[in-house]
This record gives sequence, structure tokens and C-alpha cells, in this order.
Amino acid sequence: MAGTRSPSPRSLSDGSFRPVMVGGCVAAFVMVLSPLVAIVWISFFENKIISFPPTGYTLDWYRAAAAMPQFRDGFVTSLKLGVVATLVSLIAGVPAALVLARGRFPGREAIQSLLLAPLIVPGIVAGAALYMFLIEVELASGVQVAMTFWGLALAHSLIALPWTVRLVTASLVGLDPQLKEAALTMGARPLTAFRLVTWPLIRPGVVAGALFAFIASFVDLEKSLFLVGPGVTTLPIVIVNYLEWSIDPTIAAVATVQIAVISAGLVLTDRYFKLARAF
Amino acid sequence: MSALALTGEDSLTGGLPAPGATDRRRRRSSAGWLLFPSLTLVLAGLVLPLALMARTSVAHFDAASPDLVGFTLENYARFFGEPFYLMILARTLVVALSCTAICLVLGVPAAFVISRVESRALKTVLILATIIPLLMGNAVRAAGWMVLLADKGLINSALLSAGLIAEPVRILYTGSAVVIGLIAVLLPFMVISLESVFENIGTAYEEAAQTMGAPPWTAFFRVTLPLAMPGIFSGCLLCFVLAMNAYATPVLIGGPSFQMMAPKVFEQAIKVYNWPFAATIALVLMAVTLVLSVASSLALQKRYGVL
Amino acid sequence: MSNILIRDLIKRHGALVTVDRVSLEIGQGEFIAFLGPSGCGKTTTLRMIAGLTPASAGSIHFGTREVTHLPPYLRDAGLVFQGYALFPHMSVAENVAFGLQMRKVDREEARRRVDEVLSLVKLAHLAGRLPKELSGGQQQRVALARAIVYKPEVLLLDEPLSALDAQLRTEVRTELKRLQSALGLTTIFVTHDQDEALSVADRIVVMSAGRVEQVGTPREIYQRPATRFVAEFIGRTNLFPGGLDGPGRFRSESGERFAFGNADAPSNASALAIRPEHVSLQRGAPAPGGACTLEATVEDVIYRGALTEVVVRTASGARLAAHLHNADSGRDDLRPGDPVVASWPADAPMLF
Ligand SMILES: Nc1ncnc2c1ncn2[C@@H]1O[C@H](COP(=O)(O)OP(=O)(O)OP(=O)(O)O)[C@@H](O)[C@H]1O
Ligand SMILES: [Mg+2]
Repeated sequence: MAGTRSPSPRSLSDGSFRPVMVGGCVAAFVMVLSPLVAIVWISFFENKIISFPPTGYTLDWYRAAAAMPQFRDGFVTSLKLGVVATLVSLIAGVPAALVLARGRFPGREAIQSLLLAPLIVPGIVAGAALYMFLIEVELASGVQVAMTFWGLALAHSLIALPWTVRLVTASLVGLDPQLKEAALTMGARPLTAFRLVTWPLIRPGVVAGALFAFIASFVDLEKSLFLVGPGVTTLPIVIVNYLEWSIDPTIAAVATVQIAVISAGLVLTDRYFKLARAF
Repeated sequence: MSALALTGEDSLTGGLPAPGATDRRRRRSSAGWLLFPSLTLVLAGLVLPLALMARTSVAHFDAASPDLVGFTLENYARFFGEPFYLMILARTLVVALSCTAICLVLGVPAAFVISRVESRALKTVLILATIIPLLMGNAVRAAGWMVLLADKGLINSALLSAGLIAEPVRILYTGSAVVIGLIAVLLPFMVISLESVFENIGTAYEEAAQTMGAPPWTAFFRVTLPLAMPGIFSGCLLCFVLAMNAYATPVLIGGPSFQMMAPKVFEQAIKVYNWPFAATIALVLMAVTLVLSVASSLALQKRYGVL
Repeated sequence: MSNILIRDLIKRHGALVTVDRVSLEIGQGEFIAFLGPSGCGKTTTLRMIAGLTPASAGSIHFGTREVTHLPPYLRDAGLVFQGYALFPHMSVAENVAFGLQMRKVDREEARRRVDEVLSLVKLAHLAGRLPKELSGGQQQRVALARAIVYKPEVLLLDEPLSALDAQLRTEVRTELKRLQSALGLTTIFVTHDQDEALSVADRIVVMSAGRVEQVGTPREIYQRPATRFVAEFIGRTNLFPGGLDGPGRFRSESGERFAFGNADAPSNASALAIRPEHVSLQRGAPAPGGACTLEATVEDVIYRGALTEVVVRTASGARLAAHLHNADSGRDDLRPGDPVVASWPADAPMLF
């Protein structure tokens, strides 16, 4: 009796679920992490020509990299750009997200697509287009914008914007009733209502959005490619330019420093805001 | 009573707008102000430049003058007329699609495992291990692959010194290397999008399926995966778009012999100064990406309802 | 023959023991309710029976089959979750058919059984709808249909009615009871609503802090609570801490003397409990010789529909609640401040 009732007997593959899933997970992490591990490791190799196994380990390449101003300047430029872009994207993106999260209104879809468009338009296309546009502006006004910090800042703000819009909107979805209230009270006493009602609701989304906006700006390569100029070059572009000529432990040392600085920043951020919660 | 209120509204309020209307109007105007900065930014930084680019793509190329002259389709004719460029487009598509597929195959288990790990500490570590590589940028990761895959790179050196091969195997500057490099770049995006999706679905549906007699694979494919479909789709779309538009990885890992669309735009604009043709390649790239994204989302919308 | 046999079941979360040596024998077709305060381990026990949480120690048998280490999909249990967990991407009929498909029941037969069970829960007309297009009560019935359609060896229900409003709850629980006995399903029903447990269960398992306090029929649990916890947890109780003061006499800490006639009172009893419905109140002086009485003053009168709750206070300050039936006519209304005599049958006090 019990035999006819019970489900079909365990098939051979039933036990494979966990191993296969965990295996896939491990493979994914190997793919993602191995270039980083490799670059960190190489940065300590003694030989300039990479060979395995190394004859010994040294810290010389860090000294060599520190002596090259282009890396330091690139890092500072990227950092400044990231901060400016994040701020601009928050100032522009948070109000927009509040409107988008209010619910359906005519034109909502169109506005949302427009605000997320910088994510969909390939960076190289957008970068080239912006470059041409800034040249035209320059020709018309006589003020140089292409190949300046502020031209880059405009491009990076656009890179960052969709992330704040997306993540702040996402953090508001599902909070519909409170949000309606928040939106209504906003009409009456904008600042107080924002501080008391809206801000606590959107804070996780804003933190996650700002983080992603900064990341997107900091690592961008394609969009900046056309817009960098003498004296204003971002770190990713400095690295690519160097790599086109040679791979050696010096560039590995630069990359390792970047990895270390950013990891430290992330771990610190994680203490105050559980990053895992942002996703 | 209600009919009276409806018809009498104007006369009762003496021509003043009804309170509801003022409120609605105020909200609409506040919406306008709230949207103003972001829309201006997108307009000035993206829409107008793209319009200008579209104009440039139909201009006649004159190496002597940077001005936009003429209206011609010669640039498009050149792109679609020369097998060389069509081949680059096809190659870009193949690379982007295979990267997306592999990211999906690896990203689903990774995201699923992370979302189902019980220990909070381990989960945080795994999520950080996914996010941190994102922060390193394409350039640093491309450098890592170059170090690994070069003829004298770590992998070849290791294989040589282990005596497994006599000659270095060519990996760098091949299509496979580009796909490998892109997967490493794109996988974190996929894992992060999917992890939150699986997290939100929760374990209750799987558990329900299992108590009803579904073995793990069945529960996963019949219940969890269909519920994750919208998230899977947006993850794939993100990977696909990023792969189509990739620059650093093909340039550094593919080398001059493995050409893709994005590097071609840069080459035409900055090395040849042929801005009209650069604009044409860029627009073709964008159009193909957009059309495929929209078509696939429509197809999926039909199959899975609102995404 | 018992259908489910649970022996010394333990669940540990690190050092924390959330289910502590639970042993239970459940008969074929029996309707068991797990009753206990929040966090006492009811869900955890149920999940171990379903196989969703591995047991740390102990054993579980379904009939003669040991299932302790079987994964959930090989156990043949039907589970209704608190939130129902209906598959949102499948229609009602597809949800119900899922368990049958897993058992490789052929299409025609499956369709017939889905139709049958859907009409049993009166949802045949909604078979094509998606779960989100149903009301809470309808979703609940789909969840139930989905769990019983494959005639599981045991039906497990984790607070299945908690999302429903009071009226629907009583309706659905009666329906549930009817279905359960019609199909002869061995059922475990988790709840922290004692009314629910008392009215539907054949036997009730009262749990507290991971342990089983008492197992018994609703009548036994209510009338003969085994422990002070059960007495306090089930129903209203007047509880007086204190000690025995000679045979058949109990003296509370605040000084009241109680007489009782229970032969089985433990000699080291430290508390005495009287149900409010056993207390009656009279005006005037105590009847001479009436040992089971207390003089008191009315403190509060609360009208409760079918009954009136009167709280009285003794001279030494102890409070005692009495439930008086409003159907008893000719009883003049008591008012706060009125002096009364409380009395009870000699066998009403319970000692722990
Ligand atoms: N994964 C876990 N780790 C640690 N403790 C847990 C875990 N799961 C449950 N517990 C603890 O086990 C105890 C019993 O939980 P359980 O969910 O079984 O309670 P319950 O009786 O069903 O309560 P409720 O009536 O509120 O549903 C609780 O104190 C809970 O905090
Ligand atoms: Mg519970």
C-alpha cells in the first residue's frame, strides 16, 4: 500500500543537484577571481619577463610604479570623477526615482526608458557621440569642454545616473502605500516630509545606487576613451595604454594597489552598511 | 446625491478649481521639477549627441575638412557592402551571445548557491567576492588574463615546466581568450542580478515542490527557474549589451587580429579621423543591440507575461 | 496500528536546542493539533516530519517505513504552509496537479483527480485562475487541495488558517475537519489558537520551549491539565501559588484557604488552579459548613455576551474570576463593591 503511494524511487541524478550547483558556483568564482589573483601574484615576481615558477619575490615593482606619475594622476582623476559623477547622479536621479515610483502616469514608461538609456546605449557609441557634440559646442561657444575635466564629468554623470535611478526606484517598489503617502506629504512640506518619510524609505536604495554609480564611473573605459586629454586621463585608460605596449610586473603592482585600496574601502563600507543587503 | 455632487461641482466651488484638482496639478508640477535635472542631463549628454552622430553618419567624409557636409548613405553602403565589416559585426554578435550563454550557465548556480547559503558570514564573503572584481574594472582584469594566457604567461609557463607541452599554446589573441576575458568581466553582473532574484523568491516554493514529491532538479526547473525568469532575462540582457559594447577586453586580449565593433569605432575616429564612418559603425552597433534587446524582451513578455 | 511514530526527536541550532526529545505516536486517520506559544518549536517539529529540516537526533517512522533520513520528496507528506506557497506561475489546476505529475500519474487520471479534489474544496469553477487572482480563503483551499490530492501518508498543516479573518477561520476549520475525516487522512495541525485546537483535534499536543507538555484529547487537556503550564496556557485559569495545608486543604501565599476534594493531588503541590466557570457567586454570608468558599468583594463586572466575567477580590487582595452564564435568569446584577461569597465544587480545584 505504502509502496504504490510513495513517489517514484530516487533516481541516480537526484543526489547530483548540490554538487552540480556548488561546482558551477566554484567555476564561476574561479573565472571571476583568477585574473585578479594572477595579477596580485605577478606583482611580486622578481623577473621582469614573466616566467613560472618565479626565481624569487620582490617589492621593487611597487617602487617603480610609484615613481610613474601617470598612474598616480590617473588614480586621482578617476577618484574625483567618481565623486562628482555620484553626486550629480544623486541630485538628478533621486528626485526622478521618486516620481517614477509614484506609479502610473502618462509618459512614465518613456521617461523611465530615457533615464535608463545611458545603460543601454553602448559606451563607445555614447562616448564618440558626446565627443562630437562637445566639439560642436566648442566651435559654437569658443569654450573648450572636450578633453577637460568637466567634459569627462558630464560623461561620467551620465554613466552613473541610471544606477541611482534604477536602485532607488527598485528600493521603493513594494512600499507602494507608504510611498503614496510620502509623495502626497511632499506636496505640503517638502523638506520635512522628505526627511521624515521619504528618506528612511529610500536610504538603502540611495546607498546602493551611490555605490554602483561610483563603481560604474570609476571603472569606465569606453565612454571616457574619446574625452580624455593631456593632464586629464582616468586610471583605466592609463592602464590600457600601458598594457598595449607591455605586460610586466609594474602594471601588476599598479593594479594590485587599486585592488587593495578598493577592497579596503568596500570592507569599511560593509561595516556601516551591509553591502549584502543592497542586492 | 452623487450625481448632484458631480454636476454641481463647478457651481459649488464658484469656478475655483476643486481641491483635488489643485492637488493633482501641484503634484504634476512638482513632478516636472523633480524630473528636470535628470532629463536635462540625459538630453544634453546623450540624446542631442546621438542626434548629431546620426547626422554625422550621413555626412560625406572629407579628410581635409572637419565640417559636416552633404547627405549621403555612402557610409552605410560601405559598412553593409564590405564583407570585412559584416564579418566584424557577426563576430561581435557571436562573442556577445556565447558570453551571455556561458554567463547564464555559470551565473545561475553561483547565484543560487549564494542565495541559499545558510551562514550569514559566508554569504557576505561570497557577495563581496562577486562585487569586488566589479570594482577592479575591465582594464585590471584584462591585465590579469594577459598575464595568465600569454605565450610566456603563467598557464603556458606552468604547463611547460610541468612538461605537459613542448611549445607554448597560443591562447592570448584568440577568440576563445576574448570570450574567457569577457565572461570574467560580465559574470559578476549576472550573479548579482540573479542572487537577489533567488533571494526574493525564497525557499518556500522549492520546499512546497519537494514535499509534493519533486526531486531537487525538478523543483528547480519547474518552480524556481520559471519564477526567476524576469530576473534571468534582465541579467542576460545586461551581459549581452555589455559584451556587445566591450572595448578593453577585445583590444587587449583579442589583439589586432581579433577585431570587434567597439574598437573599430575608436580606430576609425581617432586613428583614421573618419568621423562619418565611425558614427556609422557606432550607430549600427547600437541599433543591432537595441533591436535584439527589444525583440527578445517582447518575445519573453509574450511567454512569461509582464517582465 | 500507529501511522506516525516519532521517537526522541531533537533539533539543535548550535548550542540552542529548539526541539527537545519529542516523542509521539499518531494513529491512522488521527487529527492531531500542535499547540503552544510562539517560538516553542511547532514549526521546527513539523519541518522535521516533512523532511525540510534535518533532525539532529531521534527517529521518525511513517507506518513501518523509517523516513528520518529521507529527503522530503521521498516522504510522501502533504504540507500546507502558513503563507500557502502556491506556485504563482501555475494555475489552480496546475498547482493541484503538480504532486500527481511527480508521482507519474497518467494525464487522464490526474485530470480526474484534480477535478474531484477541486470540487471537494468547492473551487472547481476557479481551476483556470492564477493564485494571485484568488481571495485568501480560496488560496487556502487550493493549498489544501494541492496537499491532499495525492493522498499523502500524512497531512501537515502549519497555521493554515492564520491569514484568514475570524469568521472564515471557523468556517474553513469545520470544512477542514470534515474533509480530513472523510478522507481518513492522518493530520498534524499546528496552531497557537487554542479554540481551533480544541474544536478540531482528536488529540492535542501541548508544547512549550521545545518539549511536549501534555498529549491528550481536548477534554483531557482542558479538564485534567498535566502541568501548571498547560493549565495556564489552555483556557482562563485562576492560579494561586502556595502550598498544602493538611489533607484536602491548600493555603495560598496571600493567605486564602481552599478546600478541595481531588484524591490525586500531588503532596508537594505548589499551585492551585480553578477555572472561572467552576466558580459561583452568592450574595450574603457563607453557608455554614461549606468548605469550598471564599468571602470577597466584587471588583469588576465585564459583560462578554454569552457570559459575564466577574472579578472578585478577597480581603487579603487575591483576585478570582468567575464566569456566570447570562442564560441563568433570575440572577440579580452584581455591581462593583458588592460583598459576595465565591464557591466551587470540591473536585474543581486542580493542583500542581
Ligand atoms: N535556523 C535557526 N537557527 C536558530 N534558531 C532557530 C532557527 N530556526 C528556528 N529557530 C528557533 O527555534 C525556535 C522554534 O521555532 P519554531 O519556528 O519552530 O517556532 P513555532 O513554535 O513554530 O513558533 P510560531 O508559533 O511563532 O510559528 C524559535 O525560538 C526560533 O527562534
Ligand atoms: Mg511556526
